[in-house]
Amino acid sequence: MQTTTHTSNQTPSASSTKLSDYKIVPRRHYGRLVSSIIILGLLGALIHAFANGDIEWSIVGRFLTAKAILWGLGNTVLMSILAMILGVVLGVIFAIMRMSSNPVLRYVAKGYIWFFRGTPIILQLLLWFNLALVFPTLGVPGVFEARTVDVMVPFVAALLGLGINQGAYTAEVVRGGLLSVDNGQYEAAMSIGMTRLKSLRRIVLPQAMRVILPPIGNETISMIKMTSLASVIQYSEILHNAQNIYYANARVMELLIVAGIWYLVVVTIMSFGQRQLERRFARGSGRVDH
Amino acid sequence: MSFIVQGQSVVKKFGDFVALDHVDIDIENGEVVCIVGPSGSGKSTLLRCINQLEKIDGGGLWVDGELIGYRIEGSALHELDDRQIARQRLATGMVFQRFNLFPHMTALENIIEGPIQVLKRSPRECREQALELLERVGLSDKANAYPVELSGGQQQRVAIARALAMRPRLMLFDEPTSALDPELVGEVLQVMRDLARSGMSMIVVTHELGFAREVANRVVFMDAGQIVETGAPEEILMYPRNERTRGFISAVLN
Ligand SMILES: Nc1ncnc2c1ncn2[C@@H]1O[C@H](COP(=O)(O)OP(=O)(O)O)[C@@H](O)[C@H]1O
Ligand SMILES: [Mg+2]
Repeated sequence: MQTTTHTSNQTPSASSTKLSDYKIVPRRHYGRLVSSIIILGLLGALIHAFANGDIEWSIVGRFLTAKAILWGLGNTVLMSILAMILGVVLGVIFAIMRMSSNPVLRYVAKGYIWFFRGTPIILQLLLWFNLALVFPTLGVPGVFEARTVDVMVPFVAALLGLGINQGAYTAEVVRGGLLSVDNGQYEAAMSIGMTRLKSLRRIVLPQAMRVILPPIGNETISMIKMTSLASVIQYSEILHNAQNIYYANARVMELLIVAGIWYLVVVTIMSFGQRQLERRFARGSGRVDH
Repeated sequence: MSFIVQGQSVVKKFGDFVALDHVDIDIENGEVVCIVGPSGSGKSTLLRCINQLEKIDGGGLWVDGELIGYRIEGSALHELDDRQIARQRLATGMVFQRFNLFPHMTALENIIEGPIQVLKRSPRECREQALELLERVGLSDKANAYPVELSGGQQQRVAIARALAMRPRLMLFDEPTSALDPELVGEVLQVMRDLARSGMSMIVVTHELGFAREVANRVVFMDAGQIVETGAPEEILMYPRNERTRGFISAVLN
């Protein structure tokens, strides 16, 4: 090192003053400063553009709490929750089947995952909704029968479409979680007299949860947005209702912003809930994720 | 004379590989048997067959007088289902080399899990029993600690308490001190010594020849899936007759 300046990195014994006598000058973060200025400038321009663009913010405010929008919001949340519950239940069942020693169960599970991951969700929604074209009636002949069009209302078709599709993805997530648990845990559980199923439920699944929950949380958030696809089969979720309003009043941007705001609100709340859940299942892992 | 374990010509294969090659073994009630032998000789496999973590391919095993894995009906052997096997496993407790405590449960929860979930005993009674067991293994102050917060020796003692909480007739130990730092081996052996004195039937796979000499009623030497030699500890450990036994003992001692 060239000693052109008078910096003296001497050993403690060689220096006469104590280290505590010096004043600490914090490191300057010039990069942060410059990037902050650029980003703030761009943000300002964006806000300016929207504020002066052809958007009636009063309309946004008014429709934010319109009855049809809130009704649609309720349907979006309800459908997300129900489809996710169906998806997780199916996911756990098919993950266990996929890992079963029974080859029939294994192949059924593989086939399910293959089909529902291999076709677009919108196609599946349309399939369920149009089921009446192939099966005019549903049920067990003689016991109970119903016309398919009466059963496959948008709500049912959306629930089946979204939930069963979700199950195929969740099955893989759950399987990954189950595989992440050491085999010794099954053996210890069985050695205290648990059956295979009870070992799974009491010992292995709770541990797999740590691995399963973060992706399930992400998928729940995706699901909230995915329910908007059910608008193609006339399910009255928030985007569908927003569209119906702007078909009538031509305030397209305003209503899209209204829907956007509500999606953000719900997703933000969900993300918070996800963090709480993950903490709970981190029990005994010796580390708490933030 | 009653036997806690009887094995007749037990065969266990992994594919073409014969892990247990016509093993005959009888263990009396209250006996402490140490199994020694080189790595890969089938010691763990034998314990795992007794506990039905592995299914045998030939011969028969009786635990506490009951043929395991099958039900005899007329001249036919019917395979037992998962639930019946789980019930048969209650006769044995198992302690693993790597402890295998349930990491998402505290020490106390680990111990009461089986009694509550499997034996359906009252939680209050189970807690009391668990606290007694923790005291017995010297860990009264660790009831609410999670496994990660415990040393290896402490974890293994909790694992022993967990197995004892099921009130088994036979305890199986698979190298219970092999994964421990040397200074923690003593505390685990002490718990096992006390257990042996209390009259528990035990099968212990171990490389701790000192423990075997002091505690075992009988030592079994295994090699290549076979029981090569069996006898009193001083016979096997001091004056082994078989060549392979002699080679193994001197290798362990040096
Ligand atoms: N699940 C298994 N699959 C294939 N081979 C196995 C399995 N378990 C054990 N073995 C083999 O069986 C032999 C005996 O193993 P083990 O009983 O664990 O030996 P020990 O406990 O005496 O060291 C070893 O050669 C081992 O590789
Ligand atoms: Mg072994």
